Amino acid sequence: MSGQNYKAPEHIAITYTKSFVLDVLTWAYIALVSYKIIWQKIVLKERYPDFFWSQPLYSFYIGLALAFILIFTNFSLGKGLFGIIKTKDDEVATKKPFAYIGYLVILLTFITSYYVSQISLKEFFSPQGLEGAQRIFTALFNPNWAIFEEGLFAAVETIYMAFIATAVAIPVAFVLGFFAARNLMNGNKVTFTIYNLLRACFNISRSIEPLVWAIIFSVWVGIGPFAGMLALFIHSVASLTKQYSEQIESIDDGPIEAITATGAHPIQIVWYGVVPQIVLPYLSYTIYRWDIYVRMATIIGLVGGGGIGNLLMQYQGQARWNEVGMLVIIIAAIVWAMDWASSRIREAIK
Amino acid sequence: MLEIKNLNKVYPNGLHALKNVSFNVPQGEFLVVIGLSGSGKSTMLRCVNRLHDVSGGEILFNGVDTTKLKGKALREMRANIGMIFQHFNLIPRKTVLQNVLSGNLSRTGIFKSILGMYTKEDKERAMKYIEIVGLKGKEKNRADALSGGQQQRVAIARALMQNPKILLADEPVASLDPATSHSVMQYLKKVNEELGVTVICNLHFLSLVRQYAHRVVALKGGVLIYEGKPSEINEQWFKTIYGEDAVEVTIN
Repeated sequence: MSGQNYKAPEHIAITYTKSFVLDVLTWAYIALVSYKIIWQKIVLKERYPDFFWSQPLYSFYIGLALAFILIFTNFSLGKGLFGIIKTKDDEVATKKPFAYIGYLVILLTFITSYYVSQISLKEFFSPQGLEGAQRIFTALFNPNWAIFEEGLFAAVETIYMAFIATAVAIPVAFVLGFFAARNLMNGNKVTFTIYNLLRACFNISRSIEPLVWAIIFSVWVGIGPFAGMLALFIHSVASLTKQYSEQIESIDDGPIEAITATGAHPIQIVWYGVVPQIVLPYLSYTIYRWDIYVRMATIIGLVGGGGIGNLLMQYQGQARWNEVGMLVIIIAAIVWAMDWASSRIREAIK
Repeated sequence: MLEIKNLNKVYPNGLHALKNVSFNVPQGEFLVVIGLSGSGKSTMLRCVNRLHDVSGGEILFNGVDTTKLKGKALREMRANIGMIFQHFNLIPRKTVLQNVLSGNLSRTGIFKSILGMYTKEDKERAMKYIEIVGLKGKEKNRADALSGGQQQRVAIARALMQNPKILLADEPVASLDPATSHSVMQYLKKVNEELGVTVICNLHFLSLVRQYAHRVVALKGGVLIYEGKPSEINEQWFKTIYGEDAVEVTIN
């Protein structure tokens, strides 16, 4: 076809540009990490090496120079990953020159992570440390049953908080899910704009952890389960909508086509062609989310979202480890029970 | 009844699927469209009921150009044209009766259809069509639990529920075994002969074509290259339509 021939050169130019950018970044990363970790930390054994913005800048220049030379050879990770370097039938891509650059990056990242995380076996096995570990484990395994009732009530609060947050989010996400589904929205420009705006909103709100939302709402509505519920609600709407819309995107187009062919109205097409295909997956996913939110609600409690997490935070702050031990047992029991129940229910409705 | 004039279809990716296709379909005919996969048969059917928009040309259905219809007029046109598919495209998890009733959506209010409120007459009509396709007693079964041939018959009943003037069949037997294929074709023949519905059907097997078609049109690369009686397709035409290397496969 003539259309493809016309498009081809432009396409290759874009691929080469992408490869070049990737190569520059890769080489800059290799240069920077080699200098900061291998040279300064390991060879010079500096404890707190100085940081100047000139260091990443020079690394970038080095990356630029190396990439500019090596883009013409087989030592180009970008060319390899974007498929410009062709692999013959009797060759393996993992043994090509560009693959070794990939291995080098992984190795350097591993070494860097080791130093950045301050991994120290000396501290792990120090007598002082082991003593502390023994103390806390003894306390944890001797829970204070006197606060069982208090813990249980807090746990109930957490479970219900997670439930209402999910339940309130369902109808909102159900409606929004249709507007965030590409296959229903890419018909014309107006709907596709709505789709993109919705997607952007949800990506932003999802990228803010519920933990952060809980902090915001604990200031807004005060510390307590309501703040936690609001935090979970925001997160549920975003994640349920995303999941629901992906469910809609993955449905079989056949029934939609068939219902359209009967002369049905668009609303009828959605109700008869889309909804029957998504109800069970929705239900299954929603129960799974509730299960996750009970766990999350515990964590959210730590920053003022109420429930058992709040209690855990209080006792931990006072270093009352026997009480903490009790709460840990309750949390573990709930998580286990929820996990079991949700998987059973999901199995049953499949 | 249906006049197709200089029909052109270009997909957004630049594929020119139909090139100046023109032919007529008189009322009551059983027309079969043949051609290799990718020759434009399915595209052609989907242009007729506007599941695909047309890039150029006219389709006159009872004298009205359907290529420019919108909204309610488009839906009314679609309601007069039934369609069945290779993969049946029934609504999953619904009963046979509910599936057949969904053929009547264009004449049911939106609110009523969401609540599933169908009239007694609708239900009786649905039962009648279920009986016509030989599935009496199965109306309460889940449609997706039936065999392939039975599912296709449910699809036929759903299309009949529309009271169609034309029935489009897009490779209705391509995913069925030979024995079931004949059964489904028999039902299409019955719909054509007894209910007087015009049928336009895409098929792969020439043996079925010879048995059921009144007339045949053949597409190759989006161009109409043959129009005539099924008995007139000789060795030479076969090789033109399907390529030099093709060998005819028959099912009995």
